[in-house]
Amino acid sequence: MTVALSVYVLMWPVAVAVILFVISRGFFREWLEARRNGQDMI
Amino acid sequence: MSGGTDTAQFSAVVVVGLLVLFYGGTFLISTRIGKREENADGYMTAGNNVGFGISAASMTATWIWASSMYASATSGYTYGISGPIHYGLWGALMILFIYPFGKRIRKVAPKAHTLAEVMYARHGRSSQLMLAGSNVVGSLISLMSNFIAGGVLISLLSPFNFIQGVVCVAAGVLLYTLWSGFRASVMTDFVQVVAMLGAVAVIVPFIFFAAGFPAAFETGADNLTPQQGNFFSSEAFMGQGAPYIAAVLAYAIGNQTIAQRLFAVKESLIKPTFITATIGYGAMVIGIGMLGVLALYLGFEPSGGDLNNLIPEMAAEYLPPALLALFFIMIVGALSSTADADLAALSSITMADVYGQGVGKEKADPKTMLLVGRITMVVATALGVTFASLQLSILDLLVFVGALWGALVFPVLASFYWEKVTNKAFTTSVLVALAVFLPVRFGWIPVDGAFGIVVDVLAVLGIGVVLGLMVFGFLGARAAKTVGVLAVLVSAPFAIGSLHEYATLCGSLVAYSVSTVICWAMSVRQEEGFDFSVIAERTGNFDDGGAAAATADGQGEAPPVPGRAQRPGGAPDAGDLEPAAHTK
Repeated sequence: MTVALSVYVLMWPVAVAVILFVISRGFFREWLEARRNGQDMI
Repeated sequence: MSGGTDTAQFSAVVVVGLLVLFYGGTFLISTRIGKREENADGYMTAGNNVGFGISAASMTATWIWASSMYASATSGYTYGISGPIHYGLWGALMILFIYPFGKRIRKVAPKAHTLAEVMYARHGRSSQLMLAGSNVVGSLISLMSNFIAGGVLISLLSPFNFIQGVVCVAAGVLLYTLWSGFRASVMTDFVQVVAMLGAVAVIVPFIFFAAGFPAAFETGADNLTPQQGNFFSSEAFMGQGAPYIAAVLAYAIGNQTIAQRLFAVKESLIKPTFITATIGYGAMVIGIGMLGVLALYLGFEPSGGDLNNLIPEMAAEYLPPALLALFFIMIVGALSSTADADLAALSSITMADVYGQGVGKEKADPKTMLLVGRITMVVATALGVTFASLQLSILDLLVFVGALWGALVFPVLASFYWEKVTNKAFTTSVLVALAVFLPVRFGWIPVDGAFGIVVDVLAVLGIGVVLGLMVFGFLGARAAKTVGVLAVLVSAPFAIGSLHEYATLCGSLVAYSVSTVICWAMSVRQEEGFDFSVIAERTGNFDDGGAAAATADGQGEAPPVPGRAQRPGGAPDAGDLEPAAHTK
C-alpha cells in the first residue's frame, strides 16, 4: 500500500517533467526554424 | 502539527528582488517582440499562426491559475487521496472536450477574434451581448481572484501587506501586457510555464521526502476517514467531481481566454496543442493537489483553519530558502499568466465586439482599435485592484456566471453545426434557462414537493445533454443521441427523487436541459437554414481593411437573423430586431 501511494503521489511530477520536455522541444524547434527563415516567432 | 508562517519568510529586499526578476524578465521578453506599430489583429490573436510550443505552453499556463493550485490541494486535504483527481482531471478535460468543437469553430470562422464576434455574425446583437457579457464578468472575476492570490502570497511570505502585494502584481502584469497585448501574453506564457512545471517537478518530490514519506503513509493513516482513504470515495465524487463534470463544457465555452488561443494557434496544430495542454494542466494541478493529501496524512493544520494557507505553509515548513523562492515564482507565474490572459481577453472583447462590430467592420480603424484595447487593459487592471482591495465576496457572482455559461453551451455549440438555430431561439432559451436556474440553485422555491420532482426530471435531462454533447464533439450526432438517451434512462431511477438535494449540481444541469429543450423546440421547425460560409466573411482581419462587405447594405450593421427575409411575404415577424439576408 505504501509503495502504491508513493507511486501515486510521485507519478504526477514525472508527468509534469515529460510535458515540460515536450513543450520546450516544440518551442525551441520553432524558434530555430524562425531564425533560419529570418521571421518573427510570433 | 500546524503551519508556521506567523513571521515573514522573506525579507523585503528578497521579495522585491524576486518580483523584479520575474516581472523584469517578462517585460524584457515583451520588449523583444514589441513593434513600434502594433497590428490590431496581432494584438488580439497574433495573426492566427502561432506554433505548437508557444500555443501549448500558453494554453497550459492560462488554464492554471493560483486558485486551481489552492483548490486542488484543498480538495486533497478535504476528500483524501481521490480529491486532487476530482479537481484536476475534470479541469483538464475542459480543455480536451472543447478541442473538437474548436476545430469546427476555426473551420467556420478562421480569422475570428472572439466567440461573441462569431455569435454576432451567426445571429445578431443579443446573442453576442450575452456571450461577451458573460466573458467580461468571468474575466474580471478571474483577474480579481489572481490579484487577491498575489496579495495573500506576498503578505504571507514577506513584510509587505495585502494591498501592497495586490498593487505589485497588478502593475507587473500590466507592465508587460499593455503594449503588445495577446502576443506578449502568449510569449511570456512559455517562460512562466517552464517556471511552473519545473517547480512542480522539483517541489512535490522534495516535500514528499522532507516530510518523512513514504513512512508517514503508515504513521499518519489514522488521520484519514474511511472515505478519505478510499480512492473511489462517493463523497469526493458528489462533493467535488460531479459538479465539475457538469461544468466541463460550460467553463470552456464561457472563457474567452481559451477561445482566443483557439483562434491564435495554427489550424493544423489545434489537436496536439489541446491534448498537450490537457495533460500538462492535469499533471500539474493534480501534482500540487497531492500536497493536500500529504498534509492530511501529516495532520497538518493551516493557520486560522484557512485552507488557502495550506500550500504556502507546507512550502514554508519543508522547503529550504532557494526552493521557497522557486515556489514563490511558481505561484506568481501561475497567477500572472492567467491575469495577462484575462487582460488580453477583455481588450479583445472591447476591440472586436464593442468597437469593431459597433462602428462596422470596414469602418473600424485599427489604430483606434489598439487604443481601445490598451485603455481597456488599464481600466480592467484598476477595476481588478479595486475589487481585490475591497475583498468582495465573489461566490454568488461566480455561481451566476457559471450558470449563464451552462445555459449558453447548447445554443452556442448548436449554432456552429445546426443551420436552423435562430437568434430568437438562442436568446429565449438562455434567458428562460437562467430564470429556472435561479430558484433551483438558491432554493427560492421548496424542492421537497412536486417542484422537486420537476427539478429532478430536468436535471436528469441535463445529464443526458452534458454527456451527449461531450460525445458529439468526438463521435457525431448519432453516438451523442445514443449516449444521451442511455444516460437519462440509467440515471433516472437513481436521480429522480433525490438529485434536488444537491443544489449546485442540480442548478447547472437544469440550466443545460432547459436551454437545450427550448433552443431545440424553437429551431426545429425553421424552414430556412443559415449559410455558415457567411461567418468567415464577417469575421475577417481588421487590419486588412475589412473583409468582404459585411452586410447586404454595406453599413456594417447587425447581421441577419436567418430565415427571415426569405419568408413568403417578406415581412419579418414582430420579434425580429435585425434585418435579414444570407440565408440558403
